[in-house]
Parts: sequence; structure tokens; C-alpha cells
Amino acid sequence: CVKKDEYLNNDTKSATAVPASTLFSYAEKQLSDVLATSAYNVNIFRLTAQQWTETTAISESDYDLKLRNVPDGFWNAIYVNVLRNLYEADKLTQADATLSAAQKSNQLAQINILEVYAYAVLVNTFGNIPYTQAVDYTNTTPKYDDASQIYDSLLSRLDDALSKLNTTAPGFNTADLLFNGVNEISSWKKFGNTVKLKVGITLADVEPAKSKLAVEAAAPNALQSNADNVSFNYLTTTPNTNPLWVDQVQGHLIDYVAGATLVDLLNSLNDPRRPAYYTAIDTNANPQSSDVLVYKGGAIGKVNTYNKFSTFSNTIAQPNLPSLLADYSEVEFDLAEAIERGFNVGGTAQQHYINAITASITYWGGSATDISTYLANPKVAYATATGSYKLKIGTQKYISLYNRGYEAWTEIRRLGLVLPLPPNQTSYLNRFTYPITEQNVNQANYSQAAAAIGGDNIATKLFWDKN
Amino acid sequence: QQQVIHGNVSDQEGDLPGVSVKIKNTSKGTITDGKGDYAIKAANGKTLVFSFVGYNSQEIAVNQSTINVTLTHNANKLGEVVVVALGLSRNKSELPYSAQTLTGAEVNSNRNTNLLGELSGKIAGAQIKQANDIGGSTNIVLRGPKSLSGSNQPLFVVDGVPIDNSSELELGGMSNVTQNQRNGKGGYDYGSPGADINPDDVASVTVLKGAASTALYGSRAANGAIIITTKKGNKGLNVVLNTGVLFGSVDKSTFAQYQKEYGAGYGPYYDPNTPGSHFDYTDILGDGTKQLVVPTYDDASYGQKFDPNLLVYDWRSLDPTSPYYHKQTPWVAAKNDPSTFFNHPYTLNNSLFIDGGTDKGNYKIGYTRSDDYGILPNSSIGKNLFNFGGSYRLTDKLTVQASVNYTQTAGKGRGGTGFGGQNGEPMNILQNFREFWQVNVDVQDLKDAYFRTNSNDNWNVKSPTDLSSAYWDNPYFVQYQNYETDERDRYFGNVSLDYKLFNWLDIVGRASEDYYNEFQEQRINVGSVVTPSSYYRLNRTYKENNYDLLLNFNKAITSDISFKGVLGLNARRQNINSISASTNGGLVIPGLFALSNSVNPIDYPIEEVDQKVVTGVFGGVTFGYKDFLFLDGTLRRDQSTTLPDKNNTYYYPSVAGSFVFSSLLKDYTWLSNGKVKLNYAEVGNDAPSHSINEVYDKAANFGSEPLYYVSTVRNNADLKPERTKSFETGLEASFLKNRIGFDFTYYKNNTINQILPVSVSTATGYDGLYVNSGNVQNKGVEVTVTGNPLKTDDFSWNINVNFAKNTNKVLSLYNGVNNYQLAAYKGGVTTNATVGEPYGTLRGTDFIYKNGQKEVDATGHYLFTSNSNNDIGNTNPDWTGGVYNAFRYKNFTLSFLVDFSHGGSIYDVDMVFGLWTGLYPETAGLNDLGNPKRNPLSQGGGVILPGVYANGAPNTTRIDASQNQSAYGYQTAPNKAFVYDASYIKLREAAFTYSVPASFVQKIGAVKAIDVSLNGRNLWIIHKNIPYADPEDGLGAGSAYQGVQLGSYPNVRRYGFNLKFTF
Repeated sequence: CVKKDEYLNNDTKSATAVPASTLFSYAEKQLSDVLATSAYNVNIFRLTAQQWTETTAISESDYDLKLRNVPDGFWNAIYVNVLRNLYEADKLTQADATLSAAQKSNQLAQINILEVYAYAVLVNTFGNIPYTQAVDYTNTTPKYDDASQIYDSLLSRLDDALSKLNTTAPGFNTADLLFNGVNEISSWKKFGNTVKLKVGITLADVEPAKSKLAVEAAAPNALQSNADNVSFNYLTTTPNTNPLWVDQVQGHLIDYVAGATLVDLLNSLNDPRRPAYYTAIDTNANPQSSDVLVYKGGAIGKVNTYNKFSTFSNTIAQPNLPSLLADYSEVEFDLAEAIERGFNVGGTAQQHYINAITASITYWGGSATDISTYLANPKVAYATATGSYKLKIGTQKYISLYNRGYEAWTEIRRLGLVLPLPPNQTSYLNRFTYPITEQNVNQANYSQAAAAIGGDNIATKLFWDKN
Repeated sequence: QQQVIHGNVSDQEGDLPGVSVKIKNTSKGTITDGKGDYAIKAANGKTLVFSFVGYNSQEIAVNQSTINVTLTHNANKLGEVVVVALGLSRNKSELPYSAQTLTGAEVNSNRNTNLLGELSGKIAGAQIKQANDIGGSTNIVLRGPKSLSGSNQPLFVVDGVPIDNSSELELGGMSNVTQNQRNGKGGYDYGSPGADINPDDVASVTVLKGAASTALYGSRAANGAIIITTKKGNKGLNVVLNTGVLFGSVDKSTFAQYQKEYGAGYGPYYDPNTPGSHFDYTDILGDGTKQLVVPTYDDASYGQKFDPNLLVYDWRSLDPTSPYYHKQTPWVAAKNDPSTFFNHPYTLNNSLFIDGGTDKGNYKIGYTRSDDYGILPNSSIGKNLFNFGGSYRLTDKLTVQASVNYTQTAGKGRGGTGFGGQNGEPMNILQNFREFWQVNVDVQDLKDAYFRTNSNDNWNVKSPTDLSSAYWDNPYFVQYQNYETDERDRYFGNVSLDYKLFNWLDIVGRASEDYYNEFQEQRINVGSVVTPSSYYRLNRTYKENNYDLLLNFNKAITSDISFKGVLGLNARRQNINSISASTNGGLVIPGLFALSNSVNPIDYPIEEVDQKVVTGVFGGVTFGYKDFLFLDGTLRRDQSTTLPDKNNTYYYPSVAGSFVFSSLLKDYTWLSNGKVKLNYAEVGNDAPSHSINEVYDKAANFGSEPLYYVSTVRNNADLKPERTKSFETGLEASFLKNRIGFDFTYYKNNTINQILPVSVSTATGYDGLYVNSGNVQNKGVEVTVTGNPLKTDDFSWNINVNFAKNTNKVLSLYNGVNNYQLAAYKGGVTTNATVGEPYGTLRGTDFIYKNGQKEVDATGHYLFTSNSNNDIGNTNPDWTGGVYNAFRYKNFTLSFLVDFSHGGSIYDVDMVFGLWTGLYPETAGLNDLGNPKRNPLSQGGGVILPGVYANGAPNTTRIDASQNQSAYGYQTAPNKAFVYDASYIKLREAAFTYSVPASFVQKIGAVKAIDVSLNGRNLWIIHKNIPYADPEDGLGAGSAYQGVQLGSYPNVRRYGFNLKFTF
């Protein structure tokens, strides 16, 4: 008796169709955000890498992931904010009849490289994860895939994507917030090869042949200098500022101080990057202007008084601090390692090692003198530094990955660095436990995955972790 | 022989319209018109029965042509005529389903400003919780939670007009605000719009709990209905003036108590050069020596033992404006703990009602002004309520009726809920007091500090050289600078025409509107711990129109068979429109709360438009056979725009019967009334707006690049209507001239195909999916016993006992899903709906048990599970009830209500952290050896946790209790350790009324009556098991918010007096 008013149910203030590029831009920003943030309910890797440690609420430094449901926060950010939107961008791009074949192929490749990047982060954090059945609302209880099989798939997707990049056509152009349309596709080639290099080298201890193949293919095409660094360039005004600035500077938090592990290491090497990493403090109980300022870190997993330790430097406390997704320094470290592993990537381990350190110190504002002095330090010089190649390269890589907590944590595990344990722990944090929500809403698959990886606890090592 | 009998029915105050006049033992009857007059055909020797809600019914034998009747109030006895769905009235004795009616006096004895809260404890099977904060929302659940998605609120109907009572949080389904507050994060409780109903204007409240009783309302009454009838005008001119005041005080048993032995700090490690130090040694005076400085930046009380001979520099000595600046003070516990932060709340409530009438019509006009001042400083809610209603008989056949209600509400300084400081709301002061506090800080010093400078002079500063807030602000600063304000202007009313086409057919046309306009503002001033400073505003309009056309039939088929019927059409249009915006990056000028005062250009405002049209066609019939058998049937068809075309039409039928066996047992004079009822109904429900079509959400542009993202809840174009199937049966009887009676009901409801956003593995890329899900079953019993054990001319005693037990079970969920996570809290605790379990189970980590004892490891610490999906509690009570007693002696009446709830669990986050930070007395005092617990183990300190070792032997290992994380609170025990039993027994209400004798009143002149009453509410929690908190307080309205406490508000005892003058 009343005519149909179905239009009434339309959400007249929301878009029902959007360009794929807007979703891609969003996913890029979300991926950068989740890796850059220091929000302790999402990203606590600066703490697990012991670059920082906590003051009074020390749960995360003590590997307590439950208080703030950290695994849930990190997992959701990548599946929901990043991957969901990349899948949608992929779908819309494929359906877009107005694109040239070359541009479409470039865009799909860009999407795929970012998806691989995101999945690699998830695998390296949790181990087995939903992959083949993931990001599909029709399957509300996705099964978990074997991590090493996911790695195989990631590598082949990378090869496929790289083969589809065509430098004569644009991709997402200025909607690509990583390169803003400048040398776009050639930059993506380098980025994609760098991702492949990273994924490849991660397999080195567990599947050396696959690793060798991937690393050797990717090495010549990866980043060539700091100018090639891949970073998300935040803006100076909210809400597009670096999340670290939002949390720590705008938020005036006093929850974190420098971690003694990294600070002590830097001090022992007289590292020129210290002023770029941390604030120097006066430890004299009765401060005098003549006092020498020092770098001092708080004990890991113990209560620390905020005022008595160094904290993050003004260099990283900038709203528009770019957030690195890949840099030249890590490429060179990977190449040094590849040489030591007998892979054919050209050059010597020592030269790549020097290149890597040089790139890092340069990036952090060090001078040529700083670099030469540092490299001359027998504790630094490749020939004289102590330990295995893994330890030598690992230590310097660990230093260079400051403020890239997730990457540092991954390299600590991958290269077998031994960090001090928090007082209440008997194992390093080798992985995140699965989200509590998964225990409640995807229980059967969760239980299967937990059993498959050897138990859902922080001590379980990932499949590539043979240290 | 038949004759026409005329007459008038009145009470002490004047004419009574709407009174049922029936010929006893038949189904024939009429009702009195607008001036209380009636006419009925009856034979001599028959008996007329006059009955009306809230009055004693009267029976008068027909022996003359004019019978005038004066009915007397019976405040303590259920009325005999009840108003049921669509404003139809039914004789209670024949009603085939449960309906419980309260009179206006019963729900307004306290003259509390929120009508809904007053229902608590008075309705069998109703769980009614009003948040303790000023103006806090009221959550009402009838017969257990049926909806998995949170809102289980019944429909509210005032004089036939549906009134929105959704708290803001529930509008728009899974909005961010909802999810945040549900998960224990911050937000304000803006109260329930149902509080706009004027309690002084209420004549009666009828609660319809089952679907059979509400089926005619269609979709929206699946959770039951609360039918409110307002007062009607009487003949002549009547004026009633009420003036009341209520005072309040915080019930100390529901607020934190603090240990008074140890002060600020987390443990003995502040000065690296001084082992065991609880203080900083810093030169704050600049004299080259070190001073003993309290660690102001730490928000805990695991510090130095108090010692009046120890002189220290505390936060006051760092504040240049303080008289203690750079002065030492003794190290002692605060004289004024946070309980002294609370104001004594009070309420002023004055109303004037005027009504009158003539032969042709009647009117009433009322005005109420109420002012509530809450326990938080600078918090208040002021209301103006205007009520107008009138009816006029244009011709013998045509009556026009209209009512308009207008309510203005202005709130300020409402308290935050949950974990504040995250979404533009300030930190939650109650969380500060209950979880993170230094017991050496004197609240009155904070008050002095704030009022000295009107700035955030604070106890919790970062360091002697950085006086900005570390984690918490001065609570006075929060209340005076970061307060919210809100305004709501609302009108609702209706116009109806009633045309009596034949004496057996009435046609009623009615148009109604419920409209409100809300304006909410939130502020964070410059200088707060929450940064950046901000200003947020929201404007929302809500509008609902209903157009009804009703045909009412009333015709006897034979002398034995009566027939009543209704045919109707209903068109409902709902429109919700809102816009909100906030500053970006902070405020430029402190204290200027305007969008233009934004540091960076503001982000896009958020606009929402929800529209909905539901059209319904319905019909109902009632047959009566003689006066003992009644059969009801209804059928309604609704069509809603929120469902997909293919599924947008749905039907719901109901059938109900009653057998009034007492009518056949008239010889048994001890049996006054007896009835068996039986009914079955199905009701449907539509979907929330915008849950069908996929949309993209907008994020802020990045530079000039636009950003969109896929909405995090997946909509569903295949939704079907929800369905609730409801079965009810019961027995009612009363004896000895109604001196004693009972009403027993058994019910079973199954809600299937519920439309809800199920939480799924987020590996799907979504937080939730809209699906038709599950089958939730509620079954239970309700028992009401009424008694009038003593009754003489001077003295009477009435008692009313109600009891209800509901068992809730989730029978199935969405395809393949066996658990639906409703909310997640800190520490990994979740509330869930699990197949085979009750709705609202708590999951988390549990102890590991050995022979039923808690197991400890070799170091004497508790072991607990690594998984967080152990069942650790159930948020539903086992049973609830209330006992109401009223004693009258001459002009004095004393009444009181005790209500109780047994079982149910609460996860208390306040204890999780309050114990962790050493605030509560449990964390201090002496141990089993008689030594201070907090002494080092080497000095005989420490505690032995009750438990056993792996071998079953009792734990004998003493563990350190000297600092944070050592023996108490978070991390020392699993989540289960902080789950408490929610049972309570409360003295809910007491009232003492004195009616000044007429002989005295008459001397005054114009006044007809004066009533003086003393009353109290929430007076005494006789029993509870949760420490330092009110077991009824939750996170806010909505079932999913129950069962967890975080920054909970204390119970407020209310007591006051009221003077009522009748002119």
C-alpha cells in the first residue's frame, strides 16, 4: 500500500564506487603506519629489538602481549587495513576497462608487490597464517597455511609482478605515495627486487638453494644507493604526520626510554649515529654546565625512571619523518651475507659491509670523517670485528635498523643475535602469539596452526629460524 | 427488564475518563467518556463492575437509573484494567498474556528525574540498570537478552507514540563509538532519551514482556514493550503543585578504599645510588644539595612507608604558586582521599499540573523543572518538561484528542566511561581514582591548586623541571576545563480523531511525531595530558512519524459470545541526520572551543543520514465466551526499507487464550479470581539502516591524494528478517476477596535469523559481517505474589513479591561459527556468545588447578593457562526479584522495596590495576607472621598465596609483596582472579508519606490536600560480593556492556522530601 522506498536505505553520504588508486594509496599509508607507529597496542618491535624499553608499564618489554592485545592490533592492521584494500584495489583495477593494458599490468604488479611485502611481515611475525583462504568474507574461518609454502608463493608472485612492470607506462602515478609518480616503474622494479632479496635471504638457513636463486636474481636489480631508498614521506600536518610523532611528541608520552642493549652497544663502538638516535643526558645528581652528557639506556623489562635515561632523539621526533620500507643499507648487508653464504652476487663481503655501514651513517647525517673513523675501529672493521659473519653483519645491521623495530627484530632472530632476556622470561620473543580473537572465533584452525608450528607461544621459532 | 443507566465516575480529585463499566459475568461493557460519564443498558438485579488502572474496582447492583461512583486509589494493588498494545484497554482478569502494571504513584514515589530507573525491582523478569553517573543511561532487558548484537531494549510507547530510547551508542550499529565503549574504551554516557518522559505526568506504566502481547506493534517490540499512559484532565479545575528535593551521598562501600601505610611509587628503585630508595634525590632547590623528592610521575602507591617524621618534597613543593613551594612536608597519607572529590549531589524538582474539563472535553497542562547536580564537580543536568493534553467531543460521535510534550535537557560535566583519553574525551577520573593513584595526594590540595590558578596544577607531573601531566590531570581541571556539554530539545505528541460510526465500530486516525535535536560538545583544553587539545561537536536530529488508522469493533455475536476486533494500518518514517566535526592538531587559543580555532585545517565533518520506512497492516480479534473463555488472534504484515527487496516483507501471527476458571467456580467464594493463559507468537524485525549495500569510507586526503577504504563491516544483500518465536503459559489466581494472589508465568523465546554484525576472523579482511545468525533461547519463570494480609479502617499492610529466573542459551550461530566475540577488554578478556552456552560468557586466562586447588609453581607464584579462551564467568544473573511492602496507618504510609539479584559475573578491571598499583588495603597490612607484608622477605615480609604445589601439598613459599607486580593484581594471577560474583540485595526504595488531615487542610482555605513525603532510593546495599564497587554498574547501556567494570561510578544514596499540594 506504500510504494517501494528502497532508495531510502542507500547510504547517501558514502561512496559506492571509488577509483582503485584511492584504495591503493590508503593501503600504502596503512602499511607504513603500522610499521612506523610506536603505539603499544599495535607495534612494540622497538621494545622487542631493545632499541627502546618501557618506564613503568613494562608489560610489552616483558613480552606480555595480552594486556593490550598487541597481536590482535598488529594482525588486524595488516589484514583489515592493508590487505583488504589491496585485494579490493586489485579487483577494481582488473575490472577497469579504461586503463591501457600496460598501465593495468603495472598497477596490478604494484599491488602484488605490496601484498607480498605485507604477507611477509605477517609470516615473519606469527609463522603460519591464513593465506590461501584469507581476505575472503565468504569464508569466515580461514585455515592457516604453512609458512614455508606461503614463502614459496610469495616468491613466485614477486617474479610474476616483476615481469609485468613496464617502464614505458605509468602505474598509479601520483596516487602511489611511495614514489609520487617520479621514475615510478623503475623505482618499483628496484623496490620489488629488494623485497625479493629480503624474502630470499630469509630462507638462506632453511632452503639454501631457493634462497640462492632468489638472491642472485634480485641482487643486481635491488636498490643501488640511498637515493633509491623506499620511504613513505609523511607530511607536517595531522592527520598525515608520522605516527611516531603523533604518539610520542604530540602525545607527550613518558612511557619509553632508550634500551640499554642498543645504547651500550653504540657506546662501546663510539657510534657516530648516537646523537641521531638518542638524546644525551646529564647523569650528575647535581648537574653542572661543565658536565659531559652521556647516552644511557634503561634496563630491559625492568622499571625505569623516565628522567634518568636517554630517549629518542629530536631527529626522529619530527612530524614529517619519512618511514623506510626498504633501504640501500640493508641491501648491502644482505649482499655481504650472500657472499659469505657463497652466493654469486659480486663484490666482497667486506666491501658490501662497508657500503652498508657507510649508507647508514650517511642516512643518519654522519660525515665522511665519522664514517672513516668508525670503519677504522677494530671492533667495527670487518676483518677485526669478533664473531662469525652472522654476528658481525648482524650486529651492524641491528644498529643500522634503528627505528625500524620490526626489521631489527626480524634480523635479530634471523642472524641469531643474543639479546638479554627480561627478568621474567626464559626465551627471547621468537614470534607473536596468535590474536586472542582467533582463539575465540576461528578456534579449530587456530588450534591446528598452533600444533603445526610447535605451540602457540613466544618461544616457538619460525620455520626459517635455525639459530 | 433492560434500562439505560447513566452515571459519573470520579475519584477524590475529579472525573475519571476511561473507566471500564461492565455488567458482571458478561462481556458487555462500556467505558466512561472524557468527563467520566457513561451510559449502559442493564437489567435490574445485574451488577455493574467499575474498574480502572490503579483503583480498587467497585461492584454496584443495578436498582436505579443513575449510579455515580467514586473510585478509590489503590496504589499497592495492580489495576484491573490494563492498557495493552496500540492503546487498547483490556480487563486484566481476562488477559491471555502477561502484563504488569504500575501506577504513576508507584513509579514516582521518589520523584526521581528518570522514570525508567524507577521501574527497577518492581517488574518480575525485568533487569533494569541505570548507570550511576549523573543522567546515566538506563538499560532494560525483559526476559533475558535476545539480541546478540547488544541492544535488547524494549519499545517505549507514550500514549500510543513510540519513543526512541536507544542510547546514542546503539544507533548506526557497529559504529566506532559503540565498539570503543563496548570494549572498555572511553566515551561519555549521554543517557537514554527515555529520560525525557515526565514522571509527574505518568498515570500508569504497563510492561508487556512477551511477544503475544506486543505482536501488534510489529518489528520493534520483539524485546517487549513499556506502555506509558499519561494523566488525563478531570472535571472542574484541579491544580497540583509538587515541590521536592533529593539529597545524595556516595555509598562508601561502592568506592575505592585505600591503604594508608605506603605512598607514591612502584617500588624501591628510584635513586640508582641508593638501593631500596623510594624517592628521587634531586636538587630542586638549586642549592647544590640533593633533596628527597617524591616520584610525582608515577601513578601508584608501592612507595615508602609513611612516617610523619620524614620530611619530603612532594608535588606541592614543585608548584611555584603553592604555599608549599620548595617546602618540605611530612610523609603521611592524605587526609582527604579521592572520596572527598565527590560533591553531595542534589536534585530540585518542582512541578505544577493544572487540569480541568467540561461536559465536552478536558485538558491538562503541566510544567516540571528539575535540576540535578551530580557527584562530580561542575556536573549538572537541567530539564524543563512541558506537557499538554486535551480532548474535545465535537459531536456525540466525533472526539478529537491531542497531546504535545516538549522537553529541554541541558547537561554539563557528565562523567566519562571506560578507558578515557583516546577519542577526544578526557581521562576517566574514576579510573584514575580506582586504578592509578598516590595515596599521599590530598584531594583538597588539588582543589586549592586548581582554583588558585584555574590551570592544571597537578600531582602527577613529569619531573621537577617539567610540570606537565604524566598520565593524569588534576581531576578538578578535568571537570572544570575538559567538560562536555549537551543539549536536547525534544517534542513528541500526537493528534487523533475518534469517530464512532456505529456503537460497535470506532474509527481512529492518529498522527504522531517524536522529534529531537541534540547538540553535544566535547573539550580538551590546552595543558591536558590528552594531547592535542581538541574540540568536537555533534549535531543530530532524530525524527519519527507514525500514522495509524484503526478500526475498532466491539459487538456481541450472541449473548454468550463477545467479539472485539481491530484492523489497522501503520506507516512509520524514521529519519536520523547527524553531522560531527573536530579540530585537527590542537587548539590555537586555549579555552576557545570552536572549530575555527584548529591548529591545522579540520578534517571532513562526518555526515550520516539514516532513513527508514516501515508500513504495516494488521488485524486482531478477541472472542469471549460467556465470561470465562477468551481467545485472541493477531496478524501483522510489515514491509521495511532496510531489508533487500526480495525479503522485505514479513508476517507475524499470534494466538492467545485464557480460561477464567473462577467464573465457573462462583460457589467457592474464597476464590476471587482464577485464570489460565496460554499463547504463542512470532514477531519479526528488520535490519539496521545501511546494512545491505557495500560502501567505501573516506579517510583524510593525503596532501592532494584522496584516500578511501573498504568499510570494515561487510554488508549483506541477502539479509532476511529476524524472527522471535515466543511461547508463554501461566496461571493467575487471587483469593479471599483479592487479599492474596499470585501470577505464575512460564515462557520460552527463540530468536532466530538475527541480523547482526558477527565478529569473524579478521583474516577475512573484515571486523564483522552482517548476517542472519543463530538461535538464542531464553526460557524462564516469573512469579508475582501480592498480598494484603492486614486491612482495617486504620491500618493496612500490602506486600508484593516478584521473582524471575531466566535461562539463556545460544543454540546456534552463523554458518559454521561456534563463537561470537561480543567485546574484548584489557588483559585478553572477552565476552562471547558461544553455542551451547549462555549469551555473555566471559573468557580469559584461568588458574591451573590441582585437585580443585589453585596450583603454584616452586617459587610460590600462581600458574595460569597460556590460552585465553577459558570460560571464566557468565554475565547473566541466575535469578532476580523484589519485595515491596507498604504499611498504612491512618494518614501515614510507609513503603519500602528490597530487590535482589543472584549470580552473574563481573570482570573488574579496577581491581586488576588497583591491586597492581598497591592502592587497596589488601596490598598492605600484616602477613601471617604478623609482619608488614611489604617488608622484604629478609625482614619477615611477603605473603603465601593460597594454593598447592604440583604434588598437591599446600603452598608454603612466601613471595615478595613489596612492589608492583610482585604479589597482587595484573600479571600475578590469571584473568579469572578478577572475576567477581555480581549478586546483591539492595534496599532500593523507602518512602514515608503523611497526608495532612482534611480538617486541618480546610482551615488553610484553597488547598484540598497536602501530602508530605520523605523518601529514599538506593539506600543500602544489604549484601554484595564485589569489593569497592556497585555490582550493578557497567560500562553503559546495552547488554554487551554488562559484566565488566572499568572506572565504575559509586552508588549514590538518595533521600529527600516532597510536598504535594492539591488545590
